[in-house]
Order: sequence, then structure tokens, then C-alpha cells
Amino acid sequence: MPNVTGEARIRLPDRIARGEQILVNAIISHPMDTGFFRTKDGDPIPAYFINEVTIVYGDQEVARFEWTSGISRDPLVTFSLKADREAPLTLTWKDNKGGVYRQSADIAFTAA
Amino acid sequence: MSPSSSQSRRSFVARSAGFLGALLLGRDVLTPGGRLLASGPDDPPAIPNEIVAKALKDRFGDRQIRTGHVQLDMPAAAEDGRVVPVIIESDLPMTADNYVKGVHLIVDHNPDVHVAGFYLTPAIGRLSISTRIKMKRSTWVRAIVETTGGDVWAGYTHVNVTLNGCG
Repeated sequence: MPNVTGEARIRLPDRIARGEQILVNAIISHPMDTGFFRTKDGDPIPAYFINEVTIVYGDQEVARFEWTSGISRDPLVTFSLKADREAPLTLTWKDNKGGVYRQSADIAFTAA
Repeated sequence: MSPSSSQSRRSFVARSAGFLGALLLGRDVLTPGGRLLASGPDDPPAIPNEIVAKALKDRFGDRQIRTGHVQLDMPAAAEDGRVVPVIIESDLPMTADNYVKGVHLIVDHNPDVHVAGFYLTPAIGRLSISTRIKMKRSTWVRAIVETTGGDVWAGYTHVNVTLNGCG
């Protein structure tokens, strides 16, 4: 598990055939603080969470997620994708304090 | 035996089973919208409060939210409400002229009931999304999808939560 805020990883299947329906797995290290908790000293912990994720495949935005602090710490998401071309897949996570984190993985087909 | 008396006997048996099941599981027997007591398995859970009513109204207006085409998989019992796995799948088409454009995850008794919205295009193909969410207490979870044609479909599941994950 990554532990520096914003450190992200994308996992793709080892072998991808052209046109295959794949699952993309992405995780980012982030506290996802709700704003409801306090420190041991009683100070409130302000809300700090990823509120938007965009997924770009090649030059096309294929999905966009709108999140709240109701998503668990170190947000993990798995989503389907139709791998119909060789192109980079880029995820961009944004948080409510202006943090922007980006990670890419190349969709490439296994030689037949 | 007439259809109506057969129906009422079945209904009585179902209610009795529900009552026993509720006793065994320690659920609140009188909870409105309880799956076994007040409704059949395909009926949506009752809207529990104004916040959920508004969240639905804001997104779907007066359109009918039909049950079906959406599978929401979650554990029936989650010990740690800070990390509750969710899998949403649908068999609805994802073609250029007809696709699921939005998936909304609503947790009835969370501080922010609309936990996540997933906005999609046909490029994702067969719809499958999984993540992990926080839950404050035992309640119903709703996965509601909206198609480009304006149809609204939903899947529901009840999760018993031991440890409050929302503070």
C-alpha cells in the first residue's frame, strides 16, 4: 500500500487482447478525512478528500467519478474498460484542497 | 382454494418467516421497508428521511425508479464501517446511442447520503465498478443508474454495520 499522499498505482491485466473487456484497478494514497473526527488533543481534523477522478484513454475522456469523504481511506476503484486501441490510460485525482495527482499506464496488446 | 386465500396464506407464511428471521438476526421487526416484512424482494426499501428523498428528487426528478438491471453486491454484515466493499454491475447496453451515463451510490443514513457518482461513456463496455466506502450504521444502500434514454434502474442491498465508519 502506498503511503505518501497522492502516490498512485494502476494495475492492468498482464495480457490484453484487442477489443477485450478488461478491469482496471487503481489505488491512491489519501487520508479521505471526513471532517467529523478530532485528534487525540481534541483538535478537529478538517475534511480532506478526493472529490473528482477523471479517466482519459488516449485522447478521450471515458469516465469521470464524483466522490465524497464517504469513500474509504486510500481509495481503491476497479472499473471496466473496452480495450479497443493501444493508448495510454491516465487517471487524474483531485482533492478538495487543490491537490492534483496523476498516474498513467499503457494499454498494449499481447502479440498473438 | 381461491387465488386470494392462497395469496394471503403465502403472504402470512412470508411474514412469519420474516418475523422469525428478524428475531434470529436481531433486526428491528418493525423497520419500514424491511425486506422480509413490509415488501417483496423486488420492492425498493422505503425512503427513510427527507435527505434521501431530496437526493433522489434532485437527480431523477419525478421519474420512476424501477428495480432491476443493476446488481449491487455488498456484504450482508460489515464489521468495520470504515471499509465496506461495493460492487456495482449492470447488464444494460453500453452502445453509442444508448448507455448508462450515470451511476449513483446512496447510503440511507450516512452524513452525506450521496457517497459517489460515476459518469460513464460507452468506452467502458459492460458496466462493472467496485470500490470501498464508509458506512455510519446498518442501513439500506441504493445503486441507481440513469441511461441516456432517461430510464432509471436500481439495485438495493441492506448492510449491517458493527463499527461506525463515519465518526
